[in-house]
Amino acid sequence: MRRCAQGLSLVIIVLVSCAYILDDMALLLAAGTLLAALLGQYLLFDYRFRGIVTSVAVERSLERSQVRKGTTLRVATTVTVTVPPPMHAQITEKLSPQVVVQDGDTTLLIEPDRNPRTYQFRYRITPVVHGKMRFSGITLSVQNAFFSHAIDLLADPFSGPDLLIQPLGLFEPSGKRSTTESREVEKLKVVSGFGIRALREYYAGDDLRRIDWKLSAKHNKLYVREYTGMISLPPLLIIDLPWRAAPCSDADLDRMASAVAGQAEHAIRSYQYVSLLIISGANILFFSGEEKDLQRCMSVLREWMHPVERVIHQYHSRDRADIREDVRHLETIIMQGGEPGSIAFSGTLRKQYLSMMMHMQTPAFTGQIARTLSSVAIDECYLFSLGCGDESHIRQIIRQAKIAKILVHIRLPGARAASVASADRIYRAADTVEAFA
Amino acid sequence: MRREQRNYLFLGVLAAGVIGVTAWNGSPVWYLNLILLCLFMGISYAIRSWHDRAFYLVCAGEPLIVACGAINLWAGVFVVWMVAGIVCNAMGMLEFSMGIKSFVLFCGVAAIVAILIRISNHVFLPLLILAAGTGAILAVQVVRDYQFRKQFGASP
Repeated sequence: MRRCAQGLSLVIIVLVSCAYILDDMALLLAAGTLLAALLGQYLLFDYRFRGIVTSVAVERSLERSQVRKGTTLRVATTVTVTVPPPMHAQITEKLSPQVVVQDGDTTLLIEPDRNPRTYQFRYRITPVVHGKMRFSGITLSVQNAFFSHAIDLLADPFSGPDLLIQPLGLFEPSGKRSTTESREVEKLKVVSGFGIRALREYYAGDDLRRIDWKLSAKHNKLYVREYTGMISLPPLLIIDLPWRAAPCSDADLDRMASAVAGQAEHAIRSYQYVSLLIISGANILFFSGEEKDLQRCMSVLREWMHPVERVIHQYHSRDRADIREDVRHLETIIMQGGEPGSIAFSGTLRKQYLSMMMHMQTPAFTGQIARTLSSVAIDECYLFSLGCGDESHIRQIIRQAKIAKILVHIRLPGARAASVASADRIYRAADTVEAFA
Repeated sequence: MRREQRNYLFLGVLAAGVIGVTAWNGSPVWYLNLILLCLFMGISYAIRSWHDRAFYLVCAGEPLIVACGAINLWAGVFVVWMVAGIVCNAMGMLEFSMGIKSFVLFCGVAAIVAILIRISNHVFLPLLILAAGTGAILAVQVVRDYQFRKQFGASP
């Protein structure tokens, strides 16, 4: 019951009390007819509410039906409903406590319309508890000027599908195992490691020794373990030298030089060779692939480890993928509706971004990095940088490395590494961002 | 017919009816009905653009119903019908058949309530019948609501 109905109920009580005390038929007529009107409104509201509930159709689609615990998953829920005026409705997705909503909206405001209208929720979830999870349904709230009512729609047509959350976290080792010359990687290799990188359903021909009997017994379905692969490749060291005109600390540069030298020495001693790529912004200065001689490697580092002049500048240019992400975000805002001013602004911004993307050319540096990365056999790289000035080239390196499925470890000065936020667009795709010692 | 035209029609009929009943009855407090009528019409005009004006119209109409009902019970019923028409029109109910049917049904129920009051000498008995009817309707609704929730809200 909303405030209007509460107010009318109060008026009825006052009129009935006065009619009873004064024994006045006119007051009773007013109270009785008002009571009949309120009851009538309630019955009409209830009739419409039932009509709205029976008109609801829910269709939910998941990016995947099985995920590992902690993996982010995209969910799209399409709801078709008829809400006749003057009713207003709100639909909220009812999610299990097993998952955490990462982004997107799980609540929709439905505008009244005599015809069926289709709405869509789009959001991402991260399962935090393993096991089978069913999308339980939606909560429908309906209101008019006098009454409001909510119902949890949990029956079969509104719930599902099931999501199987694999308990990888329980079997996963705390850290990657590594020996002097080899380490585990999250890829299928000829030589298997000891860690489990995934659990999947059994297919005919799979090695029976790999069946996970406990999990199979629990889910009444055969599951096999996929082990991590073992690899013994030295990392690529990318050294991003500062621009001569950029304000940077000499002490940080010295620390970076000693960190690079230590890493190079370790790589040569462990893997017999190391690859070095020396850049400054979007300029590739020197590349040495598979250098086996430690002395020669050190002399190269001594020769190059100082601020240099940059021929090409990128002027903080934005990455194409970032712009595309912004466009998607704006499209979501426009689709969800809101204030007309905000929608118009988002539309204009989206147009600007799209026209910017149309005229955007792939920088030469991106191609150079892609070719360099493909020419060496690596599965991880260390990028040493002072993090001062323009950092747009770092985003490009990370993106190209990710395309080539290479792990990227960023090493920055202590203060800069501490100030990098998890949402930082340049560094967020990197596997690790740490300070060099 | 547009909403404003319907509103003027109901107000016009209400004004004519109240003035006619007051003149025919010759009540010593005839001016009270006219004051309450003017008050109702003034409030109706002042809040014509408000979104939730139905509540205020009901509150402004109740004193007029009581005043006319005190003169003559059927005059009170007539005012109930007209006020209900104005409120339903303000809520947009008279623009579709379901709303019109509900309005006509309400007019019938108001007439039945008036008959019930007419045949009773005191307030107690009709009040008891009204309370019992309301309780029965609410009890049935509770059971229906439970069954509805069971049908749609039950998890598989």
